[in-house]
Amino acid sequence: MKRWHGGLTLLLALAMGMAGTSRAWAGEIRIGVAGPMSGSSAAFGEQLWRGAQLAAKDINAQGGINGNQIRLIQGDDVCEPKQALAVANRLVDSDRVQAVIGHFCSSSTMPATEVYDEAGILGITPASTNPKVTERGLQYIFRTCGRDDQQGVAGAEFVVKRLKAQRVAVIHDKDTYGQGLADAMKAHLRTLGGKEVIYEGLTRGEKDFNALVTKLKGLRVDAVYFGGLHGEAGPLVRQMREQGLDAPLIAGDGIVSEEFVVAAGGPRYVKGVYMTFGADPRKIPEGKRVVDAFRAAGYEPEGYTLYSYATLQAIAAAIKATGSTEGTGLAQWLHDNEVQTVMGPKSWDAKGDLKGSSYVMYGWTEDGKYAEVQ
Amino acid sequence: MDLHIIGQQAVNGLILGSIYGLIAVGYTMVYGIIGMINFAHGEIYMVSAYLTAIFLALLTAFGLQSLPVVLFLTLLLTMAFTALYGWTVERLAYRPLRGSTRLAPWISAIGISLVLQNYVRISQGARNQGIPVLLEGKFRLQAAAGTVQITHVQVVIVLVALASMAVLTWIMHHTSLGRCCRATQQDRRMAELLGVDSGRIIATVFALGAAMAGVAGVLVTLNYGSFDFYIGFVTGIKAFTAAVLGGIGSLPGAMLGGVVLGLAESLFSGFVNTDYKDVFAFAILVLVLIWRPSGLLGRPEVEKV
Amino acid sequence: MTGRDGFLDAARWGLLALLVFGPITGLVLDGYQVVVHWQQPVWLAALVFGGRLLLNGLLATGPGQRLARRLARGRAGGSVLVVAGGRGHGRIWILILLALLSLALPFALSKYWINVATLALIYVLLGLGLNIVVGLAGLLDLGFVAFYAVGAYGYALGHQYLDLGFWQAIPFCAFLAACFGAVLGFPVLRMHGDYLAIVTLGFGEIIRLILNNWVEFTGGPNGVRVPHPSLFGLDFARRAKEGGATFHGYFDLPYSADHRVIFIYLVLLLMVMAMVHVVVRLRRMPIGRAWEALREDEIACRSLGINHVGIKLSAFAMGATVGGVGGVFFAASQGFVSPASFTFFESALILAVVVLGGLGSTVGVIIAALVLTILPEVLREFADYRILVFGLAMVLMMVWRPRGLLGLRRQAYGVDP
Repeated sequence: MKRWHGGLTLLLALAMGMAGTSRAWAGEIRIGVAGPMSGSSAAFGEQLWRGAQLAAKDINAQGGINGNQIRLIQGDDVCEPKQALAVANRLVDSDRVQAVIGHFCSSSTMPATEVYDEAGILGITPASTNPKVTERGLQYIFRTCGRDDQQGVAGAEFVVKRLKAQRVAVIHDKDTYGQGLADAMKAHLRTLGGKEVIYEGLTRGEKDFNALVTKLKGLRVDAVYFGGLHGEAGPLVRQMREQGLDAPLIAGDGIVSEEFVVAAGGPRYVKGVYMTFGADPRKIPEGKRVVDAFRAAGYEPEGYTLYSYATLQAIAAAIKATGSTEGTGLAQWLHDNEVQTVMGPKSWDAKGDLKGSSYVMYGWTEDGKYAEVQ
Repeated sequence: MDLHIIGQQAVNGLILGSIYGLIAVGYTMVYGIIGMINFAHGEIYMVSAYLTAIFLALLTAFGLQSLPVVLFLTLLLTMAFTALYGWTVERLAYRPLRGSTRLAPWISAIGISLVLQNYVRISQGARNQGIPVLLEGKFRLQAAAGTVQITHVQVVIVLVALASMAVLTWIMHHTSLGRCCRATQQDRRMAELLGVDSGRIIATVFALGAAMAGVAGVLVTLNYGSFDFYIGFVTGIKAFTAAVLGGIGSLPGAMLGGVVLGLAESLFSGFVNTDYKDVFAFAILVLVLIWRPSGLLGRPEVEKV
Repeated sequence: MTGRDGFLDAARWGLLALLVFGPITGLVLDGYQVVVHWQQPVWLAALVFGGRLLLNGLLATGPGQRLARRLARGRAGGSVLVVAGGRGHGRIWILILLALLSLALPFALSKYWINVATLALIYVLLGLGLNIVVGLAGLLDLGFVAFYAVGAYGYALGHQYLDLGFWQAIPFCAFLAACFGAVLGFPVLRMHGDYLAIVTLGFGEIIRLILNNWVEFTGGPNGVRVPHPSLFGLDFARRAKEGGATFHGYFDLPYSADHRVIFIYLVLLLMVMAMVHVVVRLRRMPIGRAWEALREDEIACRSLGINHVGIKLSAFAMGATVGGVGGVFFAASQGFVSPASFTFFESALILAVVVLGGLGSTVGVIIAALVLTILPEVLREFADYRILVFGLAMVLMMVWRPRGLLGLRRQAYGVDP
């Protein structure tokens, strides 16, 4: 029953398809930067983008890679697996990138990296910490951050040995990253001989956790471990304090953003909140020049900004050394070599994980900033 | 079972329920008068949360120091602008469709809901927004082994909700506007014949419902401090559940339904499982609609052939 | 209206626009402060003012008034067009041409655009399914995404637990979705329009929440990997699984990722053609007529002896079946399913496809699905505004043409004298 309208539409699609094949400029290296550029996690996407952007600018200013300029192409996955897949396909087929920095949310990185791996394109995530990302035997996929099984371990160690908490609540946000982190922490907690008094998930996007907090009060918890992002952690800690539950809240790298303070209702409410994160990249001497450059431009390079910068440096080093953008060679080079980055020297193991990455515990202070816990 | 825990969960439920009730009023009034479910009502509530934060920031930027004055002005401004949004939505998206197919208002409402969500998202950004904590302090009651507490803001929520209901009920039953509304609700044609400008009345009802949602937005923002452009959807559906539970078309029913739903949700979260809390709420909706569509305080609908 | 009245009217609307748009677009929140962007609301208000002035001016003229009258007529009219039958022959050739074109299409497009075309076809399938429920039977279903999810997860979990392959999954998921459709239909039999809509919405959300929360069974938010389909045991992968053979190895072709995508597209195209044929046939059969009768006036239907229980259940089941099959293809082409793909927005999108295409019109649904899928890809730079425009389009369509773009055409059968 298709009328001529249908045929016209198909012809139009055909024409679009022809036009859509990317105009590849010779002498240009295209690198995709994929992450949540819009949506509730947009702050993190911005960190990734800005980090890569400055790195590209710096490298291009020094003549590019073997004389070729870097061009960054942005992909917005809104922290959703379906969008991530669409972005990945577009970057690979339509934009024809030669490497990808991304994604941010582990739930997005998982399906997207399968696309990159199948296409033989280097995919390095600067921020996805779910262990499964590098456990699938994908040779083209790396990460320049730690893993949640390390992060959860660090969290559990802190809770048990430092805070000496007896009744620990483990809460997550039912998403890949949050639940994965909570599970890792829970597993290590048990190996340390402890046991959580409650393990439950709250819903992302909700603001009212009063019933949960009352439940925690009733269970007389003395520490709350939360796997999730700042959008939920903020209201959670505020409602905890309002209801008189002064137990410390320990979270992971999902709250590494000043937006956490806004979500919690002000700097007063973030006291007693701890989080695990890599050693603060802003303190590493190699990175000082870059950090100053960011600050001069009015942007505080918090969270994963410098991780993204380091990732682009790694890609650039690999391309420069192998003299080509062919994925297999790049991947092999990264497995075998060390790269000097703004975050210090980085090298990767056979799975694509960083060799030697450790998590440090930070505490939020009453003026709304975070500092390493001594 | 600890009495003070049950008590605290009950308080949590009451607060939650008051919010649902305020939003449910909008649904119930619109359904009562034109038999249409305003799917975009939840988004009106979301807009009012943003307006609260905006006006709060604006007034403090002007240098107003006194907290009660700032709060009061914020409440008035938010109610006024939210009512304006409600009126505009009705005028643009629903009035032209009066007398159209049964499906058209639904589609239009879904469209407006998407428009409002994305309009706010594009203008204000997709991130969580917040306001600083303004009111602290709580009341504590000793009960058995522990305390039950309710913060000042939460007391304000309950009081304002009750006051708004009282004012609205007074309007409905003791003013000529209310009389016209009830007349239009009972039989629009007849009311028109008797000189009631039904178009104006319907627009006023939309504006009133939106104003109530505006109040809810202000209270929610003060209480939780944080919001984003997506809060309208689930809260909207839950408020609609409350309206249906209490009996759609009935004003006290909306409030009652809200409180019942809020209590049920809190108690479920507290004593069973937080994971399936929303499934529980939706299940209540489905079950009520299947077994008792007229709700707690409604009258069964008689269909004329 | 006179010039002065027109001007005042436009001024009032401009002021309204300023007030409405002012706070949200003009005062942007930043942390706990606001930043003033006064240009945005002023521009918008000016736009509204100018637009309204123009409209008033046009309406004052002769042609403008004629247009207004025609629009009002179009909106109020019944607009179910009954055409005389029997113009078959020319159409067959158009259909064959289109079929050949669409079969040849994937070989001319890049992988990215084949994926877009595949997605478009999936939405065509979903649109057809929902069209049966909403367009033909008039039952407003806001939770259609539940059947879509049942199909997709049926394949994913079926593979995980029961080792189902793609070809076994299609009938399995079709049947599973039909069962869900009947189960959903049963409690809502007595309900009317609005309540039906909300209950179906509730069901849709319940399904999604269960998929998200029941981590042990469904994998929760992480989703489930789904195998790609194979052709008689030949895999479309670079390297074969142990014991198997690869497609490119068997036919001695160099490996290309395009093969799999083209294969899925072609299978889907055949399925869509089959479904279109089935649906068109059904419309002319008693059951299809019963559906349309139910939509027009249920009480008259019942008083004529039509069993509304069976009709409603069959509408739900049939729609669900088509939706479930769509879900299987979605899972197969993505290689991955997660609950985040099955939100209410998907239901709204599929509903928009049906509504914009014309409730009940198969051709309209196909065109709407193609447009709504392909257009956002073409306009990728405006991705931010996509949903906004989409919502506006829905509202405008309802105000302008509530019966859809193409309206309804029904075949008339005359009796030769």
